[in-house]
Amino acid sequence: MKFIVSSTYLLKQLQVLGGVINSSNTLPILDNFLFELDHTKLIVSASDLETTMASTLDVESDSSGSVAIPARLLLDTLKTFPEQPLTFVVEDNNTIEISSNHGKYALAYASGEEFPKAVVLEDPSKTIVTGDILATAISKTIFAAGNDDLRPVMSGVFFQFSTEGLTFVATDAHKLVKYSRADVTASQVAEFIMPKKPLNLLKGILAASEEDVTIEYNESNAKFTFENSELICRLIDGKYPNYEAVIPKENPNKLVIDRTQFLNSVRRVSIFSNKTTHQIRLKIAGAELNISAEDIDYSNKAEERLTCDYQGDDMQIGFNSRFLTEMLNNLSADDVQLEMSLPNRAGILTPVDGLDEGEQITMLVMPVMLNN
Amino acid sequence: MTNQRSIVHMDLDTFFVSCERLLDSKLIGKPVLIGGTSDRGVVASCSYETRRFGIHSAMPMRMAKQLCPEAIVLRGNSGIYTKFSNSVTEIIKESVPLYEKSSIDEFYMDLTGMDKFFGCLQLASQIRSRIIKETGLPISFGLSINKTVSKIATGEAKPNNQIQIPMGNEKPFLSPLSVKKIPMVGNVTYKAMCDLGIKHIHTIQKMPMEMMYKVFGKNGISIWKKANGIDNSPVVQYHERKSISTERTFDKDTTDVHKLKSIIIAMAENLAYQLRRGNKLTACITFKIRYSDFQTYTQQKRIPYSAADHHIIPVVLGLYNKLYQRRLLVRLIGVKFSHLVEGGHQIDLFEDDDKTISLYQALDKMRERYGDRAVIRASGMSAKSISRWNPFNGEPPPLLANRRS
Repeated sequence: MKFIVSSTYLLKQLQVLGGVINSSNTLPILDNFLFELDHTKLIVSASDLETTMASTLDVESDSSGSVAIPARLLLDTLKTFPEQPLTFVVEDNNTIEISSNHGKYALAYASGEEFPKAVVLEDPSKTIVTGDILATAISKTIFAAGNDDLRPVMSGVFFQFSTEGLTFVATDAHKLVKYSRADVTASQVAEFIMPKKPLNLLKGILAASEEDVTIEYNESNAKFTFENSELICRLIDGKYPNYEAVIPKENPNKLVIDRTQFLNSVRRVSIFSNKTTHQIRLKIAGAELNISAEDIDYSNKAEERLTCDYQGDDMQIGFNSRFLTEMLNNLSADDVQLEMSLPNRAGILTPVDGLDEGEQITMLVMPVMLNN
Repeated sequence: MTNQRSIVHMDLDTFFVSCERLLDSKLIGKPVLIGGTSDRGVVASCSYETRRFGIHSAMPMRMAKQLCPEAIVLRGNSGIYTKFSNSVTEIIKESVPLYEKSSIDEFYMDLTGMDKFFGCLQLASQIRSRIIKETGLPISFGLSINKTVSKIATGEAKPNNQIQIPMGNEKPFLSPLSVKKIPMVGNVTYKAMCDLGIKHIHTIQKMPMEMMYKVFGKNGISIWKKANGIDNSPVVQYHERKSISTERTFDKDTTDVHKLKSIIIAMAENLAYQLRRGNKLTACITFKIRYSDFQTYTQQKRIPYSAADHHIIPVVLGLYNKLYQRRLLVRLIGVKFSHLVEGGHQIDLFEDDDKTISLYQALDKMRERYGDRAVIRASGMSAKSISRWNPFNGEPPPLLANRRS
């Protein structure tokens, strides 16, 4: 088995695939890239058992074979090369030799047979989405997903496909984001929960890509195919909570405010809040929004006043400032609307402007109980 | 300019007894014991008359009664003691710039720099005589350069007297005393030290610090420092509470699981209410159980920050079920919340609904107005005698179970 490939071209592909590999693996073989060569076609894969990603590369070769090469070692070596052709030759003594303009390097390899096989999806359904729409949907929602091992369903993003549109939901039980697209539709109704790790990979790869992504899915797995790559991952098993039921319908108190101004104030004030709970207090009366925080342990205190557009009763509501900053940061609108009903019910944050046709974002944030 | 500090430690002599004597003059001159009157009770305070019989505080009441059958035994009333203690606090607060109330009857005062104006000893004596005059309670103090030496000095000054350890005389003052006088040396450490032939502080003073470290670990170093009169801890006016807890020793060891469960629920419910009242959240719950053979087991669990009954009570009961494994009578159970932070309950989208949140608010309002026991869970109703006090007002606990004097 022998092939010649450009160093930077290979590095670019391997760096993307490297994101799949965990820093510590129970199975040592997973620390490797799988190289499958079939004449001029080289398929490189990486896996952590949950997620497997493969890219097809064009190389110069007339042989075939499959080997597993240590990922860390290979990546570290490739990073140091300027653009040049590299020759990979599999030797008899279980080493693979790389020849560059500078010299020779030998790496021990494992047999490609040992590498776990990627799952083949049985009887999948299919939807096609543009790359950047998928990337946007992921980046708008993923930050709201939880990390709680006890509630695994909330550690992923919920994909809801229907003939009317696509909806992506993420929540950690304290905040929730629902991102819908009415301009992209699926042929049939489907729902599944995607884990965070493959989504983060996809987000990185697909950002600003005009290319179509084919999403295939069944009960247990999903497969994303684009350009020369494919990503197969296991879905999170379980029933997603009924999020529609917790979105309050009647919200008589509506606040409209400049997003950047609001965000900056919340950020500044939250520096003075308790370092563990990050709690801030919003007091709204007339057209004035008062944001305050206090850390009694250290006698730190801050208060800011902003003018806003407010319709509703005067009220006081407490929030974790982390949640508010994350959400406000994730929006790109100039103005945002915060709808509230009572100090112990969710606040609903929506952008007033800056949305594409057919795009809709609803963010929910649960308050903290204030003691007056 | 010297950096030497002047720290006064004031301690009310036989505080509970003195309070009772103010209320009932018949008790003056008679042996008085205050503490739990049941079989399991311990002596919380005893008059000097009883000490001749070998009685000391924290001794089981039954033993004390055997030693001195003619003693008058009182149950005590923590509310009254707190009031007396507060009037002493008021006087101290008015007179000194920085004080620390380390328990109901003990105060530290930092008089550093007052020498210029009053003379530290003179000022301390004035405060002492003012307290005696205005409250009628006997009080003693020790004055030295740090908290440890002052505390030990107060112990030497008692009863109803004062002592000053002149600067530089700390080591000679400490050296003839028993190691037991060092705060921190309890019965166990004392025994261990006696086994090593360390009876008096001068022995520790002559030992190298490394040796103490080898034998007693980190505690050894602080004991060594204290024995040498070194203590840099500052006088801190207000101690943020790091944990809140409650525990209960049964009059009679029990295996009645319904009773146990009921008390545990009442404890958890009350502590959770105290958290909410103090606008605090806990992230660590500890459960403690002691069997009749004195084997004590504790287990703790981390939880997401919370102050809600429906999050906390199941965790406490879960720990109880895990820990209550031996088929033995139970002597004591306790619940502790630690890792406290300031803040309100973060409402959960799916687990909490408006009703639960409003329920807590209504319950707390009723308790605020009509007292802690105004509304309680039916399952916790049979627990009548667990302590319920506000732990977040900066006051030390009203009664310390096992205090040494």
